[in-house]
Amino acid sequence: MTEVLRARGITKSFGGRAVLKGIDLDAHRGDVVSILGGSGSGKSTFLRCLNLLELPDAGSIEIAGTPAPLTHDRHGRARISDPRALNALRARTAMVFQNFNLWSHMTVLDNIVAAPVHVHGMARAAAVERAHGLLEKVGMAGFAAHWPRQLSGGQQQRVAIARALATDPDLMLFDEPTSALDPERVREVLDLMRALANEGRTMLIVTHEMAFARDVSSRVVHVRDGVIESMGPPAMMFGPDASPMFRAFLSH
Amino acid sequence: MNDEPAFLASTALAILRALPVTVLLSIAGALGASLVAGVLVVAQTTRLFRPLARLWIFVFRGTPLLLQIFMVYYGIAALSPVRHGPLWPLFRDPLFCAWLALTCCCSAYIAEVLRAALAAIPTGQIEAALASGMGQMTRARRIIVPQMLRLALPSYGNELVMLIKSTSLASTITVLDVTGVAELVIAHSYRTLDVFCMAAAVYLGLTTALTALLRRIERGLEGGTQR
Repeated sequence: MTEVLRARGITKSFGGRAVLKGIDLDAHRGDVVSILGGSGSGKSTFLRCLNLLELPDAGSIEIAGTPAPLTHDRHGRARISDPRALNALRARTAMVFQNFNLWSHMTVLDNIVAAPVHVHGMARAAAVERAHGLLEKVGMAGFAAHWPRQLSGGQQQRVAIARALATDPDLMLFDEPTSALDPERVREVLDLMRALANEGRTMLIVTHEMAFARDVSSRVVHVRDGVIESMGPPAMMFGPDASPMFRAFLSH
Repeated sequence: MNDEPAFLASTALAILRALPVTVLLSIAGALGASLVAGVLVVAQTTRLFRPLARLWIFVFRGTPLLLQIFMVYYGIAALSPVRHGPLWPLFRDPLFCAWLALTCCCSAYIAEVLRAALAAIPTGQIEAALASGMGQMTRARRIIVPQMLRLALPSYGNELVMLIKSTSLASTITVLDVTGVAELVIAHSYRTLDVFCMAAAVYLGLTTALTALLRRIERGLEGGTQR
């Protein structure tokens, strides 16, 4: 079991308000971890700390054995000690955003080949060939020349997932990937994520989709008030032995 | 008044002969101002050069272009070190002086347009670049600059239109551009309105052509513009 993620003691405050109060989380290759919790619980902030889109105030992160280049200045503020190492670390992860964040000035194809070509130094021809394969996989073959704004939300999110897959990341971070979608578009994205889980991708998913968390995850994590309130395999979390707080959260 | 058609034709010809000067000043001014504006935008992102860039914008945006033109041509060009220095062949040329003042002044405005566009890039676009591991230069080149230029284009076009019209101030320091020639004709003929109307028509033609060009570029980018 290769360890892909080891996060220890992650804390984060915004303007004096503690959002994360010390979170530890590990993930091994092939794990699908669903992170659940109410709004404001800190689950998205935690996910964004893992690729350092937010700088945690304290704690350590290792991705596939490489520690994140975090240090603290003399005032105790978190800093990035080595921007190159940070970029290298981020290049081995991928993030899928709630609002897709496809680059609006690039076609679908260019969105997918950008990181392979400009970050990983892949030859463009090879990246393009791979991109067409990925588009097929996410059910978007034939849309290579489209612009993001010509696509529906569900289509954009599937392209964003293809973009995330293009660099064959060690760890995929999903930040509420279906929250901005129409109900009828949610399924096409969830089905795709289910397929990725089945092929052994390591995924951390912040979501409100309970059925998806129950059926697809290898582990369910309940974040409440900046800490992990409880976690376990879905059979436990959705069974009679679940923590009362998680059951209360589910019943809402 | 049977020499009327001959007068109008010779005036039109004289004004059109001056068109290359106006066009040259416009294009050179646009290039110079855009280049300096780019430097100003980058300078404003660094702690060291930010005050300098802000000062530049403060001075050149806050004073009249006409005064700037006078200061370069009658002021700087009259300084003894300049008169006897290696740059004298440039500063003795009113066209160069007009270009220099135009570049400095318009660069301040264009820099502000670019800065506003930079601030308007949705954070998600930049976060996606960060999350993919792009370094600073790659991010700037592949994401930030293209997005900034798209957002800036309408206001940038507006500044270029202003710039074309501002070139007419060069006539005040003896440049024989469209306006300069029109004034010359008026000095000989004492006919004001029709000559100025002809000159105005030339500027209208130039700005219309520029507007059409910009609209074409904007339409070409349409697929890639913001939602």
